[in-house]
Amino acid sequence: MEYLSLFVKSIFVDNMIFAYFLGMCSFLAVSKNVKTAAGLGVAVIFVLLVTLPVNYLLNEYVLKAGALSWLGEGFADVDLSFLSFIIFIAVIAAMVQIVEMVVEKFSPSLYSSLGIFLPLIAVNCAILGGSLFMQQKDFVNIGEAAVYSLGSGIGWFLAIVSLAAIREKMSYSNVPAALKGLGITFITVGLMGLAFMTFMGISL
Amino acid sequence: MNTNSNVYTVIYTTIVVVVVAAVLALVSQSLKSRQEANEKADTISQMLTAAGYGAKAEFGKMGNTAVLEKYASEIEEAFTINPSGEKVADLPSGKVFSPKELKALNYIIKDAEKAAEAELPVFIFKNGKTVVPIYGAGLWGPVWGYVSFENGTATFTGAYFDHESETAGLGAKIKDDPEFQARFVGKQADFKAEERSAVFEIVKGGVSGEAGGVDNKIDAITGATMTSKGLDDAIDTWLYAYKAYFNANEAPESCAPQGENCCCSGCEKSCCATCPCEKCCTSEDCTVSCGPECCSEQCGCCGEGCCETKSEEE
Amino acid sequence: MNAKIKETLLNPIFKGNPITVLVLGICSSLAVTVTLKGALVMTLSVIVVTGVSSLILSILRNTIPSRVRIIVQLVVVAMMVILVDQVLKSFEATYAIDKQLSVYIGLIITNCIVMGRIEAFALGNKPWPSFLDGVANGAGYGLILIVVAFFRELLGSGTLFGFDILGRFGYVTNNLVILPPFALIFIGCIVWLQRSIQKDLQEK
Repeated sequence: MEYLSLFVKSIFVDNMIFAYFLGMCSFLAVSKNVKTAAGLGVAVIFVLLVTLPVNYLLNEYVLKAGALSWLGEGFADVDLSFLSFIIFIAVIAAMVQIVEMVVEKFSPSLYSSLGIFLPLIAVNCAILGGSLFMQQKDFVNIGEAAVYSLGSGIGWFLAIVSLAAIREKMSYSNVPAALKGLGITFITVGLMGLAFMTFMGISL
Repeated sequence: MNTNSNVYTVIYTTIVVVVVAAVLALVSQSLKSRQEANEKADTISQMLTAAGYGAKAEFGKMGNTAVLEKYASEIEEAFTINPSGEKVADLPSGKVFSPKELKALNYIIKDAEKAAEAELPVFIFKNGKTVVPIYGAGLWGPVWGYVSFENGTATFTGAYFDHESETAGLGAKIKDDPEFQARFVGKQADFKAEERSAVFEIVKGGVSGEAGGVDNKIDAITGATMTSKGLDDAIDTWLYAYKAYFNANEAPESCAPQGENCCCSGCEKSCCATCPCEKCCTSEDCTVSCGPECCSEQCGCCGEGCCETKSEEE
Repeated sequence: MNAKIKETLLNPIFKGNPITVLVLGICSSLAVTVTLKGALVMTLSVIVVTGVSSLILSILRNTIPSRVRIIVQLVVVAMMVILVDQVLKSFEATYAIDKQLSVYIGLIITNCIVMGRIEAFALGNKPWPSFLDGVANGAGYGLILIVVAFFRELLGSGTLFGFDILGRFGYVTNNLVILPPFALIFIGCIVWLQRSIQKDLQEK
């Protein structure tokens, strides 16, 4: 039950885009049509699902104050948390590159639809944000971390697909010339964000 | 040179990682003591602010040494208590708790198995204020701070909060807005609450003026729901852990006024808990004439000493 | 100053502005534009970080293996940011400034402007122009931040730099403007304004 509530919460209440506004750059840049948006969304879910549990283990057994105590008594005082930013980002970048290589090798068709988005993801704040939230939320086990990562990924996916759908529809509307494209997208996202704020009141 | 060969890539990344890790470790180690000194002075000025010795900004301008001196001259007692409210040990002089240490304590308090072993700090200042820390999670990162109580009672006299990464202008107001901190003054913590969450409440949309009960609600920060919630949670968790200590300081409920001429008539807690004169003095009890003014001056008024000195003077 | 350097310096301020034209660094611009002070601190830090990390990576550009390019870039940027943070934290005079700044540390590392300019400019140019490009992009980014923050603080809290301005005239603060979606709507309006002036940026 707890897993379920965490899952639902991370999709809607703590939505990466509309509650925390993370991962906006690629969100705005790659939402022109539903198909590519869905491709990027899937890639984000996948990378979050891989990096977050890895970072969870690193945080738990390497970075946290006293996390190294499994190495012996002498390491109990070591606190490497000042390295957490750099380790997390390195893990994300490495994972993205490994995923890229593996996908390219074993599934060229998936690579051709997903591949171009993978480098974009390394600098997607939603991914690092996910790891930092994980560190802050103090999940008790790796299962929670995995559920949280899946939920946040799905939330991001839903957000980008819905924005892309709106933008596709909007191409038939009569938008002022100077506002076309980027300008109206910013405003649309702002309004969607306001709408999503209604989820904030839900307590699970 | 072929920068794309496997060997080159591996060697290059290894060098980068080693260099970066070495630089960061070196810097972090060599600057650690200075950073800790700054952090300590900052923590102390937060406690002094909560205890009502001045505004936080003033302490910031005083410089580290002056802040430490001020603290040394104003602190009356600093000790740790266990969750049953008993004193465990005195803290070494000048010892304060960094946010990291509070975080570690926070884990212990929240862990149902370990909570009984927690050693919680209490700071008593010379102006009679009891200062205790709180710690919890805000929206983006941890929030922590100090709240002060009048003479170990449940009445707030001040508060100061800090945070790591709350949104400027919204959640950051818990630190930057003295008006928010002033909302605590005069409010009370409900240390008798059964539920942890009922100890103190930061409510959205204004405090309704319902009568009765403990006045333990303040207004939340507009637009910073999650930070307010987190702070509320932090205050509840910590004060709930301190409840035995504060309840022991409170006068027991059964202490009712005991007759007109009784020295315990005011139901002062120090009096009723320890007063030996359970019989209470009526004029018959005293051998010599002994007015109420004598009684109120000395608790053991019914003893012979009081009345005798009075009579000798006459 | 020759024409090319001038172009490098001035282009990102308006014509090639990182936020309104290149769509980089959106996430952080939402979080820090509630108050002018926050926007200013963030602007200064981003100028320093983009400038210096562009410089360093431009010096290293010919030695970096392309396969691990992104990791190396991120590690260097993260190291720079952490170093600045650690040094500022150690001096009594700068400790208070650092407490302001440390809020944004994570946001600076994942700020796509830093990565975007390294990828797009520093890896293909000499150190000195790269440095200027970094600084100029930081400044262009800061310009938008400050404009948005000006309106959000004025309308949302009735203050500027914390000083009461509109409150004196009985202005009732508009809390809607403080919410993050409104930063997007303001940026949308800036894009609108800019594209009305610069017709060549308009999208079809």
